[in-house]
Amino acid sequence: MSSNPATASSTAEVGARATGSIADDATLARQIAAYLASQVGHPVEVGTVRRFAVGFSWLTYAVPVRGLDLGDGLGPGPRELILRLGPDYGLFAPYSAEPELLALRSLEGSAVPVPRAYWGSDDRAVFGAPFLFCEKAEGEAVVPWVSATEPGLDESYRKRLAEQFIDALGALHRVPWRERPIARLAHGTDASGAAAEPISERNAARLNVEHWEAQIARWAMRPYPLAEWGIRWLKRNCPVAPRVAIVHGDYRTGNFLEQGGRITAILDWELVHLGDPHEDLGWASLPMYRGGTQLISRLAEPEWFYRRYGEQAGYAVSMDSVRYYQAFALLKLAATHMAAARCFEEGRFNDMRMPAMGSQIATCLKQMEKTIGAAEAQAPAAGTQRASSSTRTQPASQR
Amino acid sequence: MNNSFDRLIDGMCATLRTEVLTRLDDTFARGQVLGVINVLNTFKVRADWSAGFLLQQIEAQQRALRDAEALLRRTDLAGIEDLIGDRGKAVLPPATATSGAVSGASIDALLAARDDANRAIAAWLAWLDAERARLPEALARDLEGLFRSAMRAEIDIELKNSPRPLFAEMSSGREA
Repeated sequence: MSSNPATASSTAEVGARATGSIADDATLARQIAAYLASQVGHPVEVGTVRRFAVGFSWLTYAVPVRGLDLGDGLGPGPRELILRLGPDYGLFAPYSAEPELLALRSLEGSAVPVPRAYWGSDDRAVFGAPFLFCEKAEGEAVVPWVSATEPGLDESYRKRLAEQFIDALGALHRVPWRERPIARLAHGTDASGAAAEPISERNAARLNVEHWEAQIARWAMRPYPLAEWGIRWLKRNCPVAPRVAIVHGDYRTGNFLEQGGRITAILDWELVHLGDPHEDLGWASLPMYRGGTQLISRLAEPEWFYRRYGEQAGYAVSMDSVRYYQAFALLKLAATHMAAARCFEEGRFNDMRMPAMGSQIATCLKQMEKTIGAAEAQAPAAGTQRASSSTRTQPASQR
Repeated sequence: MNNSFDRLIDGMCATLRTEVLTRLDDTFARGQVLGVINVLNTFKVRADWSAGFLLQQIEAQQRALRDAEALLRRTDLAGIEDLIGDRGKAVLPPATATSGAVSGASIDALLAARDDANRAIAAWLAWLDAERARLPEALARDLEGLFRSAMRAEIDIELKNSPRPLFAEMSSGREA
């Protein structure tokens, strides 16, 4: 706790800022104190906020507070909160805190370890950006990218993490979301804000592909015919989902914390949505996250991963769908790299890791084409259901 | 690279100034960083991307576009003239993309030629996808094969001219 804590003399500071940029750390601490006081009805002390250097998208701060009793048995003593801000200049801006907030609230009390979400809003008048306050989970992240000379994870440690990694994903995909706050995402909105087609097992893949097609149209700085070809293939080969589930959207090593071999929290829910649970399998199994091994997310032998996951999730995993979503994941990863290249080119960040990410677009598209080629070579298993789209859309290069 | 040469230089200089110099106390090391900034600024006014691999990429694209046109001309179009007629012409690549007159062009002109050829390939593939059911199977397969080979070639040339990525080092901040 800082020796010079920020306290709000009144709640007038809340909402006093115009929308736009995020304040310096000292001003931000005062704004946080004012906001928290307005939420709990009594003054709250806020110490020096500390921004984490990780991540390219949301800004994440550790916020030391005192005098905040959240009714969780910890009392009003010192504690740390996490504040996440989605800045207007961020990689995937404009942001909304709603999906992550709804997801964390929907998963409270489930078998998926998540930090408790306290408050969040898309109101930019409070901190200059959409925001989310949540509990600070203890632990360290296991990074997916390792150099060739780095030794693998200790076997028993790896196996313990792998079991929890798989079981948490199975638990996530079993959550009865229709009875939870996240059900609000079932009726998406289109670009104009109008209510869009409600999600179902039959349209989950197509809606997702269309979403990322629109993102590529926003972010690509030059034509990528291979991406357009991939989008058309994905639309032609949409699988029927075994169920509609909560999909994390970025489920992999690097996005959970562990302490002493125990996964304490699954993090980074900014891409959460409702969809085909196979999507998280496709993403987690990307070659980019294997750390130079054959293990899914540096943790699990593929065959065992899919078997254990299927038992946990309670449905039969379709390897045709896994391959489909691997191709989709590579397109999506290429799209995020296009966002990084654009973000850097427009001068929103000078972070030199961004053009390095941008240079990986070619790698992702090459892998996507190879993955689609392999999927085409495999005759679809008998009985595999396809919900291919007949929608014809104008390719991005002709827009 | 997907970013412009000038922007990369500006980003590198800004990063060295705001993220490196501000954390460096040693006078000699600070002098070295400022020397690097000086050289980078020299690159900005005197250097640009190499034309070599752009020319290779454009050559692969234009070969595919020429071969596709030739394939279409050789095909017995009986029964599908209406299809190949207006729709086919509408998607044929622009003349500049197949002229081959790119050697000696400026980098900006080469980048534009590469993008034009990519638009033409995308348009061919979109047309192929829309009309696949009405085209002879072998023709559709051969056309798609030509363009997939060209798209693969473009990417392979780009990857051949890219250094090994340092993501492990960037995420740990340590040399391997």
